[in-house]
Amino acid sequence: MIIVAIAVASVLGTLIEQESLYQDWRPPYLYYPDRYGEFWGNLFMRLGLTHTFSSVWYAALILMLVISLIICSLHRLVPLHRMLVRPQVWKLPHFLRKQQIVLEAGCDLAEAEAMLRRSGYRIWRDRECIYAEKGRLSRYGPYVLHIGLLVVCFAAFAKALPGWDESQDVWIPDGQTVKVPGTDFAITNHQFTIELYENGMPSRFATDASILVDGEEVLRRTIEVNRPLSYGGWDIYQASWREEPGMAHLRLVHAETGQVVTTIPFDLRDPAPEFPVEGTNLKVAVRTYLHDFMLDPETGQPTNASYEVLNPVLMAEVVAADTEQVLGRIALVILGDTPAVYAGPYYLEVDRVDTRWYTALKLHQDKTVPYMYAGLAVVFIGMLMTFFIYHWQVWVRAENGGVLIGARAYKNRFGLNREIQRLFGKPQGEGTERYDTA
Amino acid sequence: MTPRDAFLIDLAQWLLFGAFAAYLLAFLLYVSGTLGRRISGGSGFANTAGYGTVANVAGVVLHGLAILARWQGSGFWPTSNMYEFIGFMAFSSMLAFLVIHRMYRLYIVGALVTPVTLFLLAYSYVFPRDVTPLIPALQSIWLPLHVSLAALGEGFFAVAFGAALLYLLRVRGLELASRRAADEVASALEGGAVAAGAGGTASIARPAETADQRWERIWGVRLMEVLFYVILVMVGFTLLALIFRYAGFQWIFSANTNPYHLPPIIGPYGAEVGEKGSFLGIPLPAVVVPYGWKGKHLNTLLYSLAVGGLLYWVIRRFITRGRIGDALALRVGGDPELLDEISYRAVAIGYPIFTLGGLIFAMIWAKEAWGRYWFWDPKETWALIAWLVYSAYLHFRISRGWEGRKSAWLAVLGFGVVLFTLVGVNLLIVGLHSYAGGD
Repeated sequence: MIIVAIAVASVLGTLIEQESLYQDWRPPYLYYPDRYGEFWGNLFMRLGLTHTFSSVWYAALILMLVISLIICSLHRLVPLHRMLVRPQVWKLPHFLRKQQIVLEAGCDLAEAEAMLRRSGYRIWRDRECIYAEKGRLSRYGPYVLHIGLLVVCFAAFAKALPGWDESQDVWIPDGQTVKVPGTDFAITNHQFTIELYENGMPSRFATDASILVDGEEVLRRTIEVNRPLSYGGWDIYQASWREEPGMAHLRLVHAETGQVVTTIPFDLRDPAPEFPVEGTNLKVAVRTYLHDFMLDPETGQPTNASYEVLNPVLMAEVVAADTEQVLGRIALVILGDTPAVYAGPYYLEVDRVDTRWYTALKLHQDKTVPYMYAGLAVVFIGMLMTFFIYHWQVWVRAENGGVLIGARAYKNRFGLNREIQRLFGKPQGEGTERYDTA
Repeated sequence: MTPRDAFLIDLAQWLLFGAFAAYLLAFLLYVSGTLGRRISGGSGFANTAGYGTVANVAGVVLHGLAILARWQGSGFWPTSNMYEFIGFMAFSSMLAFLVIHRMYRLYIVGALVTPVTLFLLAYSYVFPRDVTPLIPALQSIWLPLHVSLAALGEGFFAVAFGAALLYLLRVRGLELASRRAADEVASALEGGAVAAGAGGTASIARPAETADQRWERIWGVRLMEVLFYVILVMVGFTLLALIFRYAGFQWIFSANTNPYHLPPIIGPYGAEVGEKGSFLGIPLPAVVVPYGWKGKHLNTLLYSLAVGGLLYWVIRRFITRGRIGDALALRVGGDPELLDEISYRAVAIGYPIFTLGGLIFAMIWAKEAWGRYWFWDPKETWALIAWLVYSAYLHFRISRGWEGRKSAWLAVLGFGVVLFTLVGVNLLIVGLHSYAGGD
């Protein structure tokens, strides 16, 4: 049975750590041999068990399920529908006595018909026989459910179609605008806010964001967790945040007098190449700036150790604005308490460093969502039909001055038993037939 | 975090305690109502089972009030951590039982469902009881909707499990009784034949055994014992966890592994054999797990298996004096066909509820909170597996006419998968739902 096979495959897929879930920085071909041993690790990777749910054979199992759903449903639905629309009314007593509930009652056929009709049964009559049923809709429930499942499976497979399921992350610092690649809009992050619980866990984080098209604001709203923003087919989610040293305010100090000449705003991500000092003939020119300073172990040259602003180091010169004559050199480690190293009359010191907040927004464009939801809705409707409507069938045949009654239920046999008992008295027996396979 | 209203939180604890007492009373009443009637051989305990249901109703009311009090006290619907969720699941299993009970009025099912509720409630005490503040992803209307409905569906599955287990026991009991009767007749006849000196030719034709009965005789009874062992392992785990939590022992290995509360026989990755001294001559830890394995959980599992085994042995050796299943089978009552129907009905009600709450709402919420409706996160995959098992159950039942034993075993398996989804996944595998973990 395919259901069982899928269940077993899914169990394997959770017992073996999946590539998307393990918490290790190593790539799979290094991680798995270490995790499960040389032999098993490689075997699991070969078999695709390390990415079960995107593996070919798992997809093949689902595909087999889809095929069997279609074939079995059609195979059963057609005769079932024929049987339900044109039921066989005239039956031999032998058939009635085989049903789940069998009894003989003293009333005549017309009375039995009236009673059944009053209880909401639909009645067919043929000579000395009556066929009564209710809740026929229930029998179509499984097929409605199966159609819903087919739509769900279609939606799941459609994710693999190009352009149907795309996502990208954008990081936007406070107050900046980022054009989203592959779309016609840009997103502005006016301000990212975060609130914390007493224990330091975040209680809420949100971005005051705008959507811009051709530089014009079309929409402004707060995006927060559980409240995504939808625009142009994209859903924009608050995913995460990051903080880093943003703007350093550096004081240019005259070394002899200790007088602050000026304060320059120095962007640690993207500093201006030079800073003219107003009211004087001076400017501070950036010669080398590294946001994460280190000395390359091979060449001995200064270089960046990472993409992050971790250890920003500035080497600047104070020059005369007009003649470009170098008046002094300054090297400054911006984070930490190290004083500047300088040659000349001026040095730099750090006044303060502002934190820059980045919001991480995740953009999803998933065209399968409407199909998935529609499929799920159909599945649920099918379930309600199947489980909360009961198909009950009653055959009545005039016999020996009274009637012989045989009844069967596809669900809730005890409910039917009670109803028959209420209408005709206590059932006298039970036939041999159980559920049939239709 | 300090809760919004500490008094209400305390009140909730007391109400819950009352609910626990009521369930326990109900269980005792059911047991005395079923066993007692058999032992006294008649009318002795005729009304007891009825009072059991009264006690269960009282328990559900108290439990419901406890949930409401905690809701008001903490400011959010109490299904956000394992303690709250397992407690809620206990509540919903009892609620589901009462719904089914209203339909069928079969008290004896209560004798099997009430212990499930009691176990769940006791198990919830294994987890920390503090009010945990909600991380932003959990601050959604879908938290109560998804979790409560999923738990309610699982509650019906618990009832289906109880009825199915009772069915299996009852059918086995009837078979045992009829075989004993046949044996007695046979031995009486043989005895008579020998006494009459007519030669040993008299033989009694036993009713022919069907393939189904044969399977049951060979495998079914053993599987039943395995099932009781597994149940006792879970009970043992809960007892151990509660005892050692309140005893407060700790073995600390390093800052980044959780401290052990049980003597560490299986140590975490990176520990050294014998570094914590020894216990009864066994070095602690005696073994150290390789990279990537959870030493602490394996250690707990080892203890649970051992304690479960001990409990099983004690019960089998001193109380039932034979297979536990057979001993119970001879003492339970109930119409097997009705039990079969109840089990099926409970699945038929639980299945749509579970689908809606456990899968559909979960998908809608995941889409809203994380942007994708399905992650193949272990917990969600296991919910899918449970759903597949119950789908198979219904499928086999509706289209292949599986009734009775096969069907009952599937209902037992299904609830096992549900319990693994709730408990095992958190203990052995982690993922998105790991916030709901404890240790």
